Amino acid sequence: MRFDQTALLAPARLHEIHGDEPDRAAMLHFALAAAGARSHGPILLLRVPQHRQDGMAYGEGLRELGIDPARLVLIELRDTLALLRAGVDAARCTGIAAVLIESRGTAREYDLTASRRLTLAAEASALCVLMLRVSAPERPSAAQTRWRISAAPSAPLAANAPGPPAIHAELLRQRSGPAGQHWRLEWDAEHGCFIEAALPGAVVSLPALRKGMEGGTSAIARAA
Amino acid sequence: MRLVAVNRAAALIGLIPGMMLADARARHPALLTLPHQPEGDALLLERLAHRMRRFTPMVASDPPDGLLLDITGCAHLFGGEAELTAQAIALTGLTTRHALAENAAAARALVRYGGDADVMALPVTALELDERATVALRRAGLTTLGELARRPMAALAARLGEAAVLRLRQIIGDADSPIAPLRRLPMPREEMRFAEPLGRIEDALEATEELLVRLVRQLEQRGEGLRRLALALYRSDGQIRQLSVETGLPSRDPALLIRLLRERIDTLTDPLDPGFGFDMIRIAAPRREGLTAQQQPLGGAKAQGQESLAHLLDRLATRWGAESVLRLHPHDSHIPERGQYLAPAQQAPPSLWPSRPDAAPRPLWLFEPPQPVTAMAEVPDGPPQRFRWRGQVHEVRLAEGPERIAGEWWRRREGHRPGHGGLTRDYYRIEDSSGRRYWLFRHGLYDETPHPRWYLHGLFA
Repeated sequence: MRFDQTALLAPARLHEIHGDEPDRAAMLHFALAAAGARSHGPILLLRVPQHRQDGMAYGEGLRELGIDPARLVLIELRDTLALLRAGVDAARCTGIAAVLIESRGTAREYDLTASRRLTLAAEASALCVLMLRVSAPERPSAAQTRWRISAAPSAPLAANAPGPPAIHAELLRQRSGPAGQHWRLEWDAEHGCFIEAALPGAVVSLPALRKGMEGGTSAIARAA
Repeated sequence: MRLVAVNRAAALIGLIPGMMLADARARHPALLTLPHQPEGDALLLERLAHRMRRFTPMVASDPPDGLLLDITGCAHLFGGEAELTAQAIALTGLTTRHALAENAAAARALVRYGGDADVMALPVTALELDERATVALRRAGLTTLGELARRPMAALAARLGEAAVLRLRQIIGDADSPIAPLRRLPMPREEMRFAEPLGRIEDALEATEELLVRLVRQLEQRGEGLRRLALALYRSDGQIRQLSVETGLPSRDPALLIRLLRERIDTLTDPLDPGFGFDMIRIAAPRREGLTAQQQPLGGAKAQGQESLAHLLDRLATRWGAESVLRLHPHDSHIPERGQYLAPAQQAPPSLWPSRPDAAPRPLWLFEPPQPVTAMAEVPDGPPQRFRWRGQVHEVRLAEGPERIAGEWWRRREGHRPGHGGLTRDYYRIEDSSGRRYWLFRHGLYDETPHPRWYLHGLFA
């Protein structure tokens, strides 16, 4: 069943995505999927690189997620204050698909006022602003939704190969809406969207159970 | 294929321009040839012509390989005609032939067809007539221009045509042969002086805005927009402060440029100090690009959106530095870290990434340089069972691979010899027990090095 990201991550609003440091790639994937699906304009990614070995986005990998690498504009700033100022400027710009702002650790400058400014800017230009908070504590903010994303084990393919990327998504908070739902989402590369997929191996096949009942063996059927 | 130009050594063994390449190679098997680049030659000629402007303002190029300089009244400044000629030849840095005459057509004819200063002794081929006319003249026994000039002009005109007679008269000196000199437009600049020095930066910026309006008018006349604006503020005590801003797209909008200037002034580490005041302000547009007047489209939104992103990127680049706003560009290399490079967004437009339909999976995030990890594999050529990265041990649950990427042996000295081509990498796509996916590689096969090391190159989504 298709996971309707655009309905939950509404445009013209600020959305927060929380996660841990090792799950950075999963958070970026979730955010890019939300940004890229909407329109085909440029995507701005604002970061504060901590050190040279932090890494960078890889164009071929972006293309596998259905996003043209030429759309991405990387903006590297020197501290969180600069990041937020540039973020507000970027959020006011028209003609781009989305703005992704990545902050690391407890960003003290990102408080209620800053998030309110980002929300106002997003409303003015009707684009989606996603705040990726890596290893950050939750703080009251003016964001429309707050998510927690982490990587999930994928369903293995033949020869023990890793299957399509899977993530655990939890909606921690939603303004004027229900919150607290969990999803296990799998990436569908053909359609370029997330689908809700249950955990692998959780389903017990019925014919095997029935056989067990008729045949008289008390062994519980193994998962399919 | 034919030869277009030969050097002295080739001319000595008898190769001439116009000869077939096969014939030339037959004469001298070890002939070194380069492809003819007419555009490159034309560009070089134009550059030489501009260099000659130090001798005289009247310089014209005579394609494909000549220059005409009108040195009337200039020769005495350089110590005479011979001295000027010697300096000009030295300035080109090439092997040249030259000739001096009283008019341009004669000089041109002398340098190409003759040698002496005597115009009358030039052969009739100097008129550059077609094949038939030249043969006819030769049959009539007329070989030099002097003999032609003695004949009545009307008869020549009837035989050879008006154009030939005009050319003859130009070479002799009876008709004018003007040259069209090269002209280079000067850089647009504006300046304003103040009787009373300006003590405040705000006033200086207001004056700059006025100057910008005037500069924009100059650019409009040329049909150009500026890419770089240079501002120089002259203090009354002699100090000069210079600032410059760059834009990604050519622009003629004074409001936008003032905004960029304000951003630049805000980010100065050394604040602008008027001292006793600024008594002159100059602006110039050193880098320009063609910009035609654009009509606002009726639909409006998309075109405005495009411009808005460019303005935002300019503003961010002006504020935080041009190296802060980057774009990814593809590079043709099968080594993953060389497959792309980052370049400032202002300098280059977005590139087209080639589509690779059957490509192996690539990570979303790449570490450059690759991070060393310690890994343990159960079989030598297989994927690791567990690995340790940044102090944490990860148990491998699923693995795909290996994808073998060899080194770029052609870039190395002696790389074609076995064992010198660089280490081969075996890449594995790994998923650990918590579901995170990594891209690891073993640097070197077991028969290349005894203890190959493992590295983490990227993270998958």
